[in-house]
Amino acid sequence: MQQIKEAFKRNLWDENQVLRQILGICSILAVTNLMANTLVMGFGLVFVVSLSSLTISALRHYIPHRVRMIIQTLIIAAYVILFDIFIKANFPEISKALGPYVGLIITNCIIMGRAEAFAQNNPPLLSMVDGLFAGLGYTVVLIIISFIREVLGFGTVLGYNINFLGFETWTIMVMPPAAFFIIGVLIWITNNRITQSASGGRG
Amino acid sequence: MKQGYLYTIIFTLLISAIFSALLAVTNAGYLPVIERNQELATKKAVLDVLAVNTTGDSEVEAIFQENITQKSIANTEVFVYSQNGVVKGYAIAMAGPGLWGTIRGYVGVSSDGSELLGIGFTEHSETPGLGGRIDESWYKEQFRGLQLDGESVITYASSNDHQIDAITGATATSNAVLRILNGATAQVVSQLGGNQ
Amino acid sequence: MGESPAISPFVILLASIFTSNMVLANFLGMCSFISVSSEFKTASGLGKAVTLVMVFTTMINWLVYRFIVLPLGLEYLRYIIFIMVIAATVQIIEMAMDRYLPELHMKLGIFLPLITVNCSILGISLFMVIRNYNLLQSLFFGIGSGLGWWLAISALAAIREKMAKSRLPKGLDGPAITFITTGIMALAFVGFSGIFVIQ
Repeated sequence: MQQIKEAFKRNLWDENQVLRQILGICSILAVTNLMANTLVMGFGLVFVVSLSSLTISALRHYIPHRVRMIIQTLIIAAYVILFDIFIKANFPEISKALGPYVGLIITNCIIMGRAEAFAQNNPPLLSMVDGLFAGLGYTVVLIIISFIREVLGFGTVLGYNINFLGFETWTIMVMPPAAFFIIGVLIWITNNRITQSASGGRG
Repeated sequence: MKQGYLYTIIFTLLISAIFSALLAVTNAGYLPVIERNQELATKKAVLDVLAVNTTGDSEVEAIFQENITQKSIANTEVFVYSQNGVVKGYAIAMAGPGLWGTIRGYVGVSSDGSELLGIGFTEHSETPGLGGRIDESWYKEQFRGLQLDGESVITYASSNDHQIDAITGATATSNAVLRILNGATAQVVSQLGGNQ
Repeated sequence: MGESPAISPFVILLASIFTSNMVLANFLGMCSFISVSSEFKTASGLGKAVTLVMVFTTMINWLVYRFIVLPLGLEYLRYIIFIMVIAATVQIIEMAMDRYLPELHMKLGIFLPLITVNCSILGISLFMVIRNYNLLQSLFFGIGSGLGWWLAISALAAIREKMAKSRLPKGLDGPAITFITTGIMALAFVGFSGIFVIQ
């Protein structure tokens, strides 16, 4: 239990993959201009990272060391394909909007990172929980980004119009540069919070 | 841990075989659903460009069954929408190169070919947030109700009286859409005039 | 496999360098883009290595897809097949370089293992097959994406070298300002969107 709590706090805040470790930003940032797309991608990432951590951890004593990376990639890719088939069948419109970005979950550094750093040396269930929280910590940040982009860019939340004041929507928020600006500011804010709370943080 | 080459090879092959089999089964199981989804998406796009309002998938199927017939005009695939035997509009298939890949979709015109009912896309690979915004409704809605009077073609706001806004940061894609659209309508609309 | 789009390879080349840059518009290869861009020389080295690997892997993946994956009906396994081909190609390039071009290997060798997990490499292979590019279009797409990535990371590294001497508010230094700088670069690149007309 203690370990689970620890994994929760570590992955969601102290070592948040995006804000603290700057990992795994590639594949998903491109589709953060709508919350629905981000939710589906985030769910996919959580699914892949937790199950691949579980599998890799369960097989950790049997995977031959010299082909370790290849086997891990293979397991990760298999789960990504499962997820891809699943959303194609159940959310065809979102699948169309995400296109090849779903496949890029494979090269998301977080998944390989958790496999190498945690699942290799820990029991299966704990690895799965660790992967789950790492994925969640990541997804939460992306949802914040997509929330800001969708509200300011379209005046909607998950497609529902909330633009009661009738403000002019910001085209820039829909365009790629906005994702960089928002993530930069978020990192700045968390850096400040962490240097305030912990003595001698990264500063 | 000491592991021989043989073990490494057998293990790798075994893992590959297990996962490939799992994926093959899942893929085969879901294939019909995925194909049906694609068909439904096409039907939805066709009804949308004809400005037919629908709620729910079963209604889409029903309207398609009852009111839509398919034919070929000027070598282009055309869906004809009719109510009680009277033709209300045509959904014309359009395709052409965008910035990155082929853009496919439909354009709806009224029965006499004088009014544009709507446009929609079924396939494109433009950049999300830039050219990919052709899928957004504000862009597509601009085209509804535009007059097509034979000679003139649709252009963007700055160059003509037709008030269509292009997409910021996606000049190439915006222009490609107009070229594909004007190409598809020009061919079919001239033929429609002769038929009626 | 459908018909390949009627787009000139030169348009693809220019589009992937400027209009829709791999990093700045498509967010591919962000991890190494942020972490390896503090020094111009290193960044430029990584950029060259990425370009080299990209050209090779797009070609090999195109051939594998066209002549093995499609005839066998294995499209749903393409993610696995592509990533395996990429891992193997990187390995082979590294060994060949070590054997025949030891000087280049000294310079670029350390970057090669990093590249297998660079999303842009897998990304362009996936984009290429989804868009039905033919061999020539894929080659130009590979070259353009690689050069675009190289241009972006070199430019960012050059800016960061200058910025290292600036005084920034606490917490903004490091990754935060790097992202904001990248955003401004991305904004500038949007200006390239009308540089050519597709025919």
